[in-house]
Amino acid sequence: MNVDEKDGSGVYQRVVLKNSSPYHYLKVCLVLEDELTRLSAVELKHFIITGLKNLYGEVGAALSFDLLKYDEDTLTALLRVYSRGLVKLWSSLTLLGSYQNQACAFRVLQVSPFLLALTGNSRELHLD
Amino acid sequence: MVRVKSRYLLCEITVSDRSQLLQLDDRAVATAVRAAVARTHGDYGAAQCVIGFSVKYLNAHTGIVFLRFPKRCYRLLWSALPFITCIETRGHKIPCVLNCLHVGGTIRTCQKFLIKYNTQQLHQMLPKCKNDEEKQQVRKAILTCSLPGSNRKESEEDFESEEDEEE
Amino acid sequence: MSVDVAQAPPSLLVCERSSFVEQNNRVGSHVEQLHFNYKVSLLLPECSSAPSHLDSVLKGFSSFYLIRKLPIYELLNKDFLETAVYHGSVYGLSYKTRVDEDTCVALMPNGRLCLSLDKYSFQLLGFEGTRSRFRPKDRHIVSVDLTNNSMAPGGRGYLRLLTGLMSRLPLSMDFLLSHHPGGGASLQPLLSRYDWSEHRPEMINQVLPHLSCPSDPKSCDAQSFLEWLGAVDADIGSENSSSSFLSSFVCPELKTVLSRALRVSICGLLLPPDVHRLIQEVRRYLEQTRLETWASLTVHGFADSPVSWRDNEHGHLRGGENFYTLLMFQDHAYHLYLATGAHDTCPP
Repeated sequence: MNVDEKDGSGVYQRVVLKNSSPYHYLKVCLVLEDELTRLSAVELKHFIITGLKNLYGEVGAALSFDLLKYDEDTLTALLRVYSRGLVKLWSSLTLLGSYQNQACAFRVLQVSPFLLALTGNSRELHLD
Repeated sequence: MVRVKSRYLLCEITVSDRSQLLQLDDRAVATAVRAAVARTHGDYGAAQCVIGFSVKYLNAHTGIVFLRFPKRCYRLLWSALPFITCIETRGHKIPCVLNCLHVGGTIRTCQKFLIKYNTQQLHQMLPKCKNDEEKQQVRKAILTCSLPGSNRKESEEDFESEEDEEE
Repeated sequence: MSVDVAQAPPSLLVCERSSFVEQNNRVGSHVEQLHFNYKVSLLLPECSSAPSHLDSVLKGFSSFYLIRKLPIYELLNKDFLETAVYHGSVYGLSYKTRVDEDTCVALMPNGRLCLSLDKYSFQLLGFEGTRSRFRPKDRHIVSVDLTNNSMAPGGRGYLRLLTGLMSRLPLSMDFLLSHHPGGGASLQPLLSRYDWSEHRPEMINQVLPHLSCPSDPKSCDAQSFLEWLGAVDADIGSENSSSSFLSSFVCPELKTVLSRALRVSICGLLLPPDVHRLIQEVRRYLEQTRLETWASLTVHGFADSPVSWRDNEHGHLRGGENFYTLLMFQDHAYHLYLATGAHDTCPP
C-alpha cells in the first residue's frame, strides 16, 4: 500500500492502493462428460477440496475459500479466496480431471481482485 | 557457471530405545521423508522432492542424519519433517521424531556445526560425572576415539559423535 | 524452474475523496476519459422506484449500432471522417474480439484510431507502432490521430495506412459504433453500405427487499465496501456466519438493514456523456430526497478494449477489469474508486 499524493486540507484526497486486496474472486464453470449430472453446492465445494488435497496435500486442503454463489443448472460458481491462495486454488482446479469416474473440467471464466468486476463482464454481451 | 544450490538439514533422530537406531538405513529415512512430504504437501510437494533430495549421511549409532534439499523449496519440505512419527525398516516400525539441529549451505558447515554442538553437549555432561574416574574415562575415550567397552555411561553418545567427526 | 505458489497476484485501486462543489474535482474528466463503457449499475438505498427525471435519463441512453464484417479501412473513408469524426465524437470498438489473442480496433472520441495487433499482422501492415506493454514480444499497438494534419485524406501517413489496411492487411470485423451528439444520422452513409442493426441499451430494474448494508459507507474501508457492493450486484446473500462450510462472506461490520433498495443496471455500448448526465440527475435526486441517504454508481469498461482511461493501453491478463465506482452523498461529497488490472497504467 502506498499513498500517492495527499492534500493536507482534506478537501481533495487521492490514495493509490497497490496489492491491497485481501481476496481474489473467480468465476468458474464445471463441465461434465454427462451433462445430466447435478451437483449440490456442498458436493461442489467438497470436490474442489479433494482437488486441493490431491495436489497440495493436507496443507492445501486447509486452504480456506468461500463458495459465494452457485447455480446448479449451469454449474457455475463464484469463489472467493485469499490472494495468497489464488495460485494454489487455480492450479488445483485446472488439474481436476474426473468426478465420480467421469471426465470433467473446470473452466475459469474470470478472475479478479474485485467482486464488482465479475458482475460486468463485457465478454457476455450478446447482440443478436 | 552456476552451482546447483542445496540446503543441508542436520537432523537428529530421537527414539525411545536407542538400540533400534542400528536398524535404520538411508533408504528407510528417505522413504519416510518422501511419504511425509507427499501427505502434507500432496503431489506438488512430492514432485519437488524428486530432484535434488537425498539422504547424504546417516549415523546409525548416534541417529544423526544429513538431508539434502534443493534450495528453492527447502522450507516447504522442511515443514513436512515434524509430521514424521515413525520410520519403517525391514518390516519393523520404529517410532521416532526428527529434530532439526542446523540448516547449512554445504556439508562442511554442517559438519563444523556438529563438532561444536557435540563439544557443547560434552561440556554440559562432564560436570554430571559422579567421580574423577568417570571423567578420566571420558577424556581417555575422546583421545583414543574408540568405542568404549562394556561399561557404557550416560555420555556414551558423545563419544560416538566425536568419533564420527574424526573419520 | 519453479514459482512461488503462495505469492499474491498484484492489484491496483485508486481512491479519491472530494466534493462536487470543489472547483477542481475530477469526476467529470474521469467519466469522459473512460471511453468504452459496457455496464452502468446504480444502487439507490431506500428507494422503490426511480423518480421520473431520473427514469427518463436512464431510458434515454443513446442507442448504438452493430455493423457486421466492417472492413477497417472504411473508418478512413473521407466522407466518414468529415461527417462523423471531425464533427462530434465517434465511439467505435470491435465486437467479440479478445484483446489478448485477436486483433482489436478502437476508434476514440478524440479522433484516435487504435489497433492492437499481433506481431504478424503488425509486420504486414507496415505502419509505425509501439510495443505492447503486456506482451512486448508479440503484440504491437498502432495508434494514430485521425485529426492530425499528416492523417488528413491524401496525406502521406493517411495513404500508407489506407493501402496497408486495404491491400496488405485487409482487416474486417464486427464493429460497435455510436456517435455523439449526432446519433445514427451522421453514421448513416457508412451504415447503409453494410449489414447493420441498431441496439438499445438493455435496462434491468430490481427492487431488493431487506438488504443488509454497511451503516456508514463514508467511513467504510474501500476494499470491504467494494466487496459488499459486488455481492449486491451479483445477488450474493450475506447471511452467513463465519463458521459456515460453504461461505463465510458477511456484510462489513456496523451494518443496518435497509427496508428496500433499487438496483438499476444498463448494458450495451454506453457513452460517457450519458453517464455524466446520469450523475447529475442522481445528484439532483439526492438533493430532493429528505432521507439521509447516499447513492452508488458503478461503470464497467469493456474488458477487451485496447485502451482504458485516456489513451492508456489496456490488456486482459486475468480479468481485464477497468471500472469505477462513484459513491455520492447528500452533502455533495463523493468517493471515487477507480480500478484497472495491475499491469495497466495507473488510472489518471
